[in-house]
Amino acid sequence: MAEAGELLPVSPQSEGRREGGEDTQEGGAAAGTADPAPPSAGSPGTEEPAGDTKKKIDVLLKAVGDTPIMKTKKWAVERTRTIQGLVDFIKKFLKLMASEQLFIYVNQSFAPSPDQEVGTLYECFGSDGKLVLHYCKTQAWG
Amino acid sequence: MLHIQMSFSVAGEEDFFLEEKRFKQYCEEFIKHSQKIGDGWEWRTSKDFADGYLSKTHFQITKRSVPPDLKEKNNDNIEQMLFMHVEESLDDSQVDGVCATAEAIRYEYHVLYSSSYRVPVLYFRACFLDGRPLTLDEIWKSVHACYQARLLEGPWDTITQQEHPLLGQPFFVLHPCRTNEFMSSVLISSRKENRHTNYITSWLSIVGPVVGLNLSLSYAKLASEQNTDADLIDRPLS
Repeated sequence: MAEAGELLPVSPQSEGRREGGEDTQEGGAAAGTADPAPPSAGSPGTEEPAGDTKKKIDVLLKAVGDTPIMKTKKWAVERTRTIQGLVDFIKKFLKLMASEQLFIYVNQSFAPSPDQEVGTLYECFGSDGKLVLHYCKTQAWG
Repeated sequence: MLHIQMSFSVAGEEDFFLEEKRFKQYCEEFIKHSQKIGDGWEWRTSKDFADGYLSKTHFQITKRSVPPDLKEKNNDNIEQMLFMHVEESLDDSQVDGVCATAEAIRYEYHVLYSSSYRVPVLYFRACFLDGRPLTLDEIWKSVHACYQARLLEGPWDTITQQEHPLLGQPFFVLHPCRTNEFMSSVLISSRKENRHTNYITSWLSIVGPVVGLNLSLSYAKLASEQNTDADLIDRPLS
């Protein structure tokens, strides 16, 4: 089944360096990869339709503020992956220390709890076949 | 519809302090949603009605129990201690003592406005069902696992015990010194897209989980419902 070129959990090519302001699209990969519309009921034996029934969720990660931008922004993530798991992953990717804090937001303003699953978030906040998450390196207390 | 600009005194690029009046308005919006979904938040006022705060009580089940004789021994991983204890003694009566029974803890959370910090502050207290309050150490241990690394770097910067400004009773408080900092990032970001953001909802979604307080995802949609028309037009119909 065709997946967008970048939607692979590839090993990091380089740490995310600040690219100055808003994230930019990676070399040539189409931003709005067209997910095929789900086939109508009664198409036996065809490929799995894109979107809700896929086991993995397409996630687009966007940096907020001064947080380093990830070189690879699009990831295919297991539905059952939790926010905490995703935070750990991004922190490793950006080579942050365990004690540095990273928060993930939906709708740019709401932080789901650490045990929330990506699949659930996609169902609530996904659109165009993907879930956009903003992440921010920040201290939450002190 | 209230404009976001009115509510913040923008001294610098990153100053998004919350005015008390705006705090109350956000709380009101928050309570309305809470009543809709029935998750138990209330608005309480001080006797002279001058001050108000959000309040919620719930129960949590701990995943481990701490037999009294182990509590004082070690400040490290208690589960490890339990495991070791079981291995050392095969005596049935001793094993019974460390059986991992679930224990219920009653948490009470208050969201107050701090006029000195000009941000909301999360106060809370917790006690077992027999009324015994949790110690500061037990509270630190109950902080969600994903925040433990940061907590251990400076527990005294994180949660300490203070007198509740309105009730005068001892409560735990999550230190608010960084609130303006992280809220500024959130607000700058959502402001760019012309989104209405409920400060209290955003803030609580970030700090709440640290101390076992989670908000339903429907609160996130509360913010989206108030998006401007321009934003709505951009979203294609499914």
